[in-house]
Amino acid sequence: MNDIVKTDETLLNSLKEREKELNCLYKVDEILSNHQLSLPELFEAIVAIIPSGWRFPDLCRAKITFKNSSYQPPDFIASPISEKCSIKSDGKIAGSIEVIYIKKVPEAAEGFILEKERQLIQTIADRIGQIVFYRDMKLVLNEWETSRKQGEPSSNQEWKVILDFLRDTDQDMLLNICRKMINHLLINGVNEASGIMNSTERENDNFPSSVKPFGSVDDIREKTFAIAGKHLGGNEITTHVKRWIQEEQVYSLAKAVGSISPSIPNIVEELTSYHNSAKNDEALYSPRARWLSVALISRFLSDRPEFVNTAKQYINFRDFVDIANRIIFPTGSRGNLGGKSSGLFLATKILRKEGENNPLLNVVDTPKTWYITADAFTAFLQYNNLEELNEQKYRELSEIRIDYPNIIQLLKNSRIPPEIVKSFSVALDDLWDGPLIVRSSSLLEDQVGAVFSGKYKSLFLANQGTKQERLEALLDAIIEVYSSMFSPDSIQYRAERGLLDFNEEMGIMIQEVVGRKVGPYFFPLLSGVAFSNNEYCWSPRIKREDGLVRLVPGLGTRAVDRLSDDFPVLLSPQHPEIPVNSVPDEIKRYSPKRIDVINLEQRTFQTVDLAALYRDYGDEIDELHKIVSIIEFDHLIKPNKFEIDFEKSDLVVTFDGIIAKTKYIKQINAILQVLRDKMGHPVDIEFSCDGQHLYLLQCRPQSFMAASSPAPIPKDLPEKDILFSANRHISNGLIQNIAYVVYVDAEEYHRLADIDDLYNIGKVVGLLNTVLPKRQFILAGPGRWGSRGDIKLGVRVGYADICNTAALIEIARGKKGYMSDLSFGTHFFQDLVEANIRYLPLYPDEPGLIFNSRFLLGSPNILREIFPDYARYEDVIRVINVRDVADGRTLTISMNAELGEAIGYLSRHKADLSSADRPNEYNEHQTDSKAWRWRHYMAERVAASLDARRFGVNSVYLFGSTNDGTAGFGSDIDLIVHFEGSAQQKLELVRWLEGWSLCLDEMNFLKTGYRMNGLLDVHIITNDDINRKTCFAIKISLATDPAYRLKLKDEN
Amino acid sequence: MSKTYNALEQAQAQFDQAAEKIELDEATRQLLRQPMREYHFSIPVHMDDGSVKIFRGYRVQHNDARGPAKGGIRFHPLETVDTIRALAMWMTWKCAVVDIPLGGGKGGIICDPHDMSDREQEQLCRGWVRQIARNVGPCIDVPAPDVMTNAKHMLWMLDEYETIHGGRYPGFITGKPVGMGGSLGRTEATGFGVIYVLREALKELNMRIENTTASIQGFGNVAQHAAKLYQSLGGKVTAISCWDNTEKTAYTFRKKDGLDYNALVSITDSFGRIDKEKAIGLGYEVLPGDAWIEQDVDVLIPAALENQISGDNVHKISKQVKIVAEGANGPTSTDADKVLAQRGIFVIPDFLANAGGVTCSYFEQVQSNTNHYWEKDEVIQKLDARMTAAFKAVVDLAKDKKLHMREAAYIIAINRVVRAVKSRGWV
Repeated sequence: MNDIVKTDETLLNSLKEREKELNCLYKVDEILSNHQLSLPELFEAIVAIIPSGWRFPDLCRAKITFKNSSYQPPDFIASPISEKCSIKSDGKIAGSIEVIYIKKVPEAAEGFILEKERQLIQTIADRIGQIVFYRDMKLVLNEWETSRKQGEPSSNQEWKVILDFLRDTDQDMLLNICRKMINHLLINGVNEASGIMNSTERENDNFPSSVKPFGSVDDIREKTFAIAGKHLGGNEITTHVKRWIQEEQVYSLAKAVGSISPSIPNIVEELTSYHNSAKNDEALYSPRARWLSVALISRFLSDRPEFVNTAKQYINFRDFVDIANRIIFPTGSRGNLGGKSSGLFLATKILRKEGENNPLLNVVDTPKTWYITADAFTAFLQYNNLEELNEQKYRELSEIRIDYPNIIQLLKNSRIPPEIVKSFSVALDDLWDGPLIVRSSSLLEDQVGAVFSGKYKSLFLANQGTKQERLEALLDAIIEVYSSMFSPDSIQYRAERGLLDFNEEMGIMIQEVVGRKVGPYFFPLLSGVAFSNNEYCWSPRIKREDGLVRLVPGLGTRAVDRLSDDFPVLLSPQHPEIPVNSVPDEIKRYSPKRIDVINLEQRTFQTVDLAALYRDYGDEIDELHKIVSIIEFDHLIKPNKFEIDFEKSDLVVTFDGIIAKTKYIKQINAILQVLRDKMGHPVDIEFSCDGQHLYLLQCRPQSFMAASSPAPIPKDLPEKDILFSANRHISNGLIQNIAYVVYVDAEEYHRLADIDDLYNIGKVVGLLNTVLPKRQFILAGPGRWGSRGDIKLGVRVGYADICNTAALIEIARGKKGYMSDLSFGTHFFQDLVEANIRYLPLYPDEPGLIFNSRFLLGSPNILREIFPDYARYEDVIRVINVRDVADGRTLTISMNAELGEAIGYLSRHKADLSSADRPNEYNEHQTDSKAWRWRHYMAERVAASLDARRFGVNSVYLFGSTNDGTAGFGSDIDLIVHFEGSAQQKLELVRWLEGWSLCLDEMNFLKTGYRMNGLLDVHIITNDDINRKTCFAIKISLATDPAYRLKLKDEN
Repeated sequence: MSKTYNALEQAQAQFDQAAEKIELDEATRQLLRQPMREYHFSIPVHMDDGSVKIFRGYRVQHNDARGPAKGGIRFHPLETVDTIRALAMWMTWKCAVVDIPLGGGKGGIICDPHDMSDREQEQLCRGWVRQIARNVGPCIDVPAPDVMTNAKHMLWMLDEYETIHGGRYPGFITGKPVGMGGSLGRTEATGFGVIYVLREALKELNMRIENTTASIQGFGNVAQHAAKLYQSLGGKVTAISCWDNTEKTAYTFRKKDGLDYNALVSITDSFGRIDKEKAIGLGYEVLPGDAWIEQDVDVLIPAALENQISGDNVHKISKQVKIVAEGANGPTSTDADKVLAQRGIFVIPDFLANAGGVTCSYFEQVQSNTNHYWEKDEVIQKLDARMTAAFKAVVDLAKDKKLHMREAAYIIAINRVVRAVKSRGWV
C-alpha cells in the first residue's frame, strides 16, 4: 500500500518537474520571437527565465556567453554543480549556456542535474543558435538590398556579394556553384579552368581514378572566379550564379524524393521549404527538375507509364508544392492519392498550361481540396486490427452481401488513427465552414476501362455546427466511403474486370462544395457532366465528337445519374444552338423539375421541388434569370432580372441565358476538346458553377457503358444472314438476342386508304409493344416514329407504344420523293436517351448497303396468330419470329461509331467483345443461364406447391424471358394464372403469391444484388378474358413464345 | 387495296357527302372541293455553318368568300401539300360553323425545327413571309401557329411583314403573346368553348348540368379548363385520365362523388402530371389509363389525342353516357362514330366543340385591327355568345332535319360558305 502511495508521489513530482520545464521553454520561445529585442537584451531576459525550469529555481543561476560577452545575474558564481552547453549557429560554436546551483542541492538518482534538465538546456541553446543565425542572415540580406539600392556594387559586381554571402552561410553550396562555373568554363573552351579542382590527371578508362582532396573552398572560389572574370562579363556571371543557386535549393528536395524509401513527411517538408525559398521559375527545365517531377508524379499520382508520359508534360515538381500541405497521410505513407485525385490534378494542370493561350481555359477553377493518401485506408485497418477484412473480397457474393451491413457498422465503430484525425482537424480549419464533399479516390478508380462510376461512394457534408460536430461528421463520412470498398457491388465490379487480386486502397478527396446559400439551402447555380463523345446525337448536324453536356440546376448528382422521373437539359457544347427540344411543350416536358441541395439547417442532402424553391427563394438567386425562361402559353421568354415574378411566372429551366450570355458552355467545350486532345482519350468531366466561376470537379476517361461500347463489325458473313447495313449517323452499341422483328412496310403502309387504318397501325405497334418480350424486339419502319406530320409518312405512335423495344429503326427510302434526310429528333427523344433505347437510321437505297427485303418480306408473319383481330394489317405490319425463321438464331445489331458502320445480322452466338471494352454495367439483354434456369426451377416450385382447389385456380402458365431462356439477373418471372374462383379466393391467392414473390426477390437479391420489389409478375386472367382474347389471355395460345403450362400440386 | 389514303381525298369525300345532301350544284362543288389559291415556293436560308439550304414553303387559301383566310403554319419534315390542302378546307368549315367572318387557309414549311438554331428558324420565318407578303395580310389571309410553330415564329413573321409593308399591322397574324398584340383568354378559350356547347347540349337533352357527371381524357390545357368550367357550372367530373411521364403510362384518377378541380390542380405539377401518391391520399382511385372511357357517367370528353374512341373500345362506353364532347381533334374513328350514332349518343363534333380556339384567334385579330384590347371577361363573354349561337344553329338543323350532329354541323358550315360564294356572284 505504502509502495503505491510512494510511486504515486514520485509520479506527481516528476509531472510537476515536466510542467516547470515546459513553462520555461515556452517563456524562452516567447522572448526569442520578440524581434524588437536586441541580442544582448534577449540574452539578459533568457538568463532570468532559465532557473524557473530547474528543480530548485531559487538556488539556480544561468549564464550565457556569446561572442566574447557574457550575460549573467550578479550572484552567478563558479560552482561544482553546473551544466554547460554550446550555442551553435550555422554549425559553428558561437557561445555557450551554463546553469549552476549556488548551493548544494539534494541529489536525485540521476545526479544533481536531471536528464530532462540537460535536454532543456540543449533545446534552449539550439533555439538561440537558430535565432542568431536568422538575425545574421537578415542582416546580410539587408546589407545586400541596401547596397543594391545604392547601385553599389553595380550589377556586374553583384555576383561577388552573392558569393560572399554564400561563404558566410553555406559553403557546400558555394563549392557546388564553383564546380558548375568550372564546368561552364570548360564547356566554353576555357581550358585553364580544368586545374582548379585538382582533376588534371586524365582518367584511365579501365581504372578507377584516384581520389584527390579538394583545396579549401575559399581557394577554389578565388581561382574559379578569377578565371571567370577574365572570360565572362559581370552580368553573365551574376545570371549563372543566380540560376545555380536556384537549382541548388532543390537539392534537399531531390534528396528526399530520391531516397530508397522516401518518407512522405520528409518530401512534404522539403517541398514546403523549397517553396518558401524559391520564387521564380528559372530552375524548372533542368534535368534535375524533370527527374523530380517524374518522381513526384509516380509517387503521388500514378506510376502507370501512359499516365506519367502525359503528366510530365504538364506537371512539374513545383505544382506539388501547392498541394503538399493539403495531404493527409499516415506514418510511413507511400503517398499515392488515388485515381480520381490524379485525374483531376492532371486535368487542372493541363487546363492551366493550355490556358496560357486560351483565355476560356485560364478562368476554370477547382475547389479547394484536401487529399488523403490511399494507404491511410490500410493504416486505418491496421490500427483497428481489421486486416481480416482484406479476405472479404474472396468470399461468396451472397455472403458478402449479407455481411455488408455488419461491416459498415464494424467500420463505423472503429477509430481513425489519432495522427490522421489531427490532420483532419487542421483540414477543417483550412477549409471553409460551408458544405464539403468527401469523394472516393481509389487506386483503381477512373482508369481507362474501369471508371467505377457509382461503385464507391461520394458523400456530401453540410459541415455545420461546432468544430467537434463537424469533425465527427467528417470522420463518419470518410469511414462510410472506406466501407464502400467492401460493398458487394464494388467487389463484383472488380471481380468482373479481373482486378480482384490487385491490392485496392482508397484515397479520398475532401472538397469544398461549390455554391451559395439560398434560404436554408446551399447549392451551385448549375452543375453537370460533360462527355467528349455524344452517343445520342439528336440531329444529323451534330457529330458524335461534338460532345454532350447534361446540365441541371443545383448539385450535379441529378446530371450524373439517369433519372426515370426527371430530365437534365441536354446540350451539344459545340452546337448549343441546336437544342434537343424546340417546341415549348417539349421544352417544358423535358426540363428539370427537381433540384438536389444541401439543407444547412437540417444538415442533410435533399431533393426539392424546383417550382417551390424558386417561388420561396427565387429572389435570392442572383443569376436565376440566366437559367430559367418564362413560359406564357406557347411563348418562351428569356427574362432579364426584373421580369420574373416568383409568385406567378411559370418558370422552365432552359439555361438559355447561360448559353447566350455567359461563356460557360464555350468553356466546357474548350475543356472537352483540350482534355481529349492532351490526354489521348475521350473524357468525362463533372463541373459546377456558382454564377461567377466555372469549377472542374472531376475528370476521368469516358467509359463505355453497356450499350455504348464500339461493337466489333463481323466480316465475311454470308449475305443472306445480314438483314441490313448502315453507314450514316452511327452511334456505338451492341444489341443482341433480338428474337422478334416488327417491320412496318413503307409501301403497304402508304397504300392504306382509310385514316382509321393508319391510326390502327400505330395502335397495333403499341399492342405488340406490350406482348413481345421486353428489349428482345426491334421496330423498323418508314419515316419517323412518333411523327405528327402527315400520318402517311410516319407511323403515329407515342412513347408508350414503343417503350419496350430494343431499338428504333427508321428507314428512309430514296424513291418516290419520300425524304432525303431522316430527322432524328422525335418528340420523345429524351425518353429514349434515359431508357437507353437505341436509334438507327437506314438508307437502304444508297449504294453498297444491304437491305434484306427478302427476309423482311418473305419470312412468315405471325401477326395473325398474335392478334387475329388485326390480321387484316398483316401486309403492313410484319412480325417475324427470328428464331423460327433463322434456325434458332437471333438478330444481333453491331454499331461501331469509330468505323461509322452498323450491321444487323443473324447469329447463334453472342458477339465476342474483347475484355477491354466489355460492357461494364448490367444490361437487360445480358442473359445468364444460371439466372433463367433458377427462375424456371423456382416457377415450377411455386406452381407445384399451389393448391388449385383452395385458391380456385384452373392453371398457371409461365411466359416471358424465363420461359424463353433469356432471363437475366434483373428479370422477373412472368406468370399467367387462369383463375375461376371467388373474390375471397382471389384475395388469398394474391397474398400467397405475393409471399412467394418477396421471398424469391430476397433470394435473388442475395445471389445477384438486383432488388426488384417482388420477383413474380403475376397476371390473373378469367374465362371472360380468354373469350375476349385480352392481351395476356392470348399468350396462352400464342405463336410467339407461347406461355408454358406449369404443373400444379396434385397434377400428374 | 386500290386507293391509298389521302387526307385531301378524305376531306373531299366528306364534303361530297354533305354536298349530295344539300344537292349542291356542280360548279359550287368544284369550287369548294379544292383550294381557290395555293402558293408553293422555295426559301433559301443561309445556315449557321455557312452553307445555304433550300426549304419548301406553302400557303393554301381554300376559300375566302366569308372573309380573310385563316389558318396555321406548320413546320414538319414529313409534310405534304395534300395534308395542307385538306387542313385548309377544314378551316373553312370550322370558321363557318362558329359563324366568324373568316375563310380557311393553311401553310407550312418542310423542315425540322429540332435541327435548326433560332437564327436559322428566324431566317426561315422571314423567308416565308418575303415570298408571300403580297398575298397575305389582315384583309387577305391571316396565319397562326400550328404544329411546331409558336408565338416566337409569329412575331418574326409579323416583323418581316411590317418591314415589307412599312407600318404596323398586328392583325396580320394571330397567336401573339399578350402585350404584343395577343388576346387575353386564349389559354381558356378552347376548354371553355367545349363546356359552353356541352352546357347547351345538356339543355337540349333536358338534363340539369348540376345533376350530371363527366369523365375526361387528358389533363392538359384544354381538359383542365374544361374541367374547371364544368365544375363551376355545377357538374361533377368523376374521372380524369392523364399521362404520367415518370412512369411512361397514363392513369385514370377517379372519385365517384366528384373530383375537386382545385385540389387536383394543386397536386399536378406544371407539366400536367398528377401526383399518384398524393391523389390516393386525397381519396382518388388510380385506374389504368384507358379506364376513363368505361365510366358510368353522363358525359365523355376526349380532350387528348386523335383516334381514342375506336371500334375496339367503343363497346366499353357505359349505357349511362348521353353525350360525347370532342375536345380533341378527331378523337372518334369512323366505325366508332357509327356505333355512337346507333346507340343514340349525342356527339358534339370536334370542329364545333373545340372551335373556341379559332374563335379567340378571331377576337385577337379584331382587337389587333382596331388596336384596342379587351378585358378578359369581355373575351370570355363574347366567346360564350359565339359558341352558344353556333351550337344552337347546328342543333336546330339536326332536330329539324333529323341529322346527326356531325352531319348537321357540316351542312351548316358548307351552306354558309355556299351562300357567300353565291352572294358574291362567283357561281
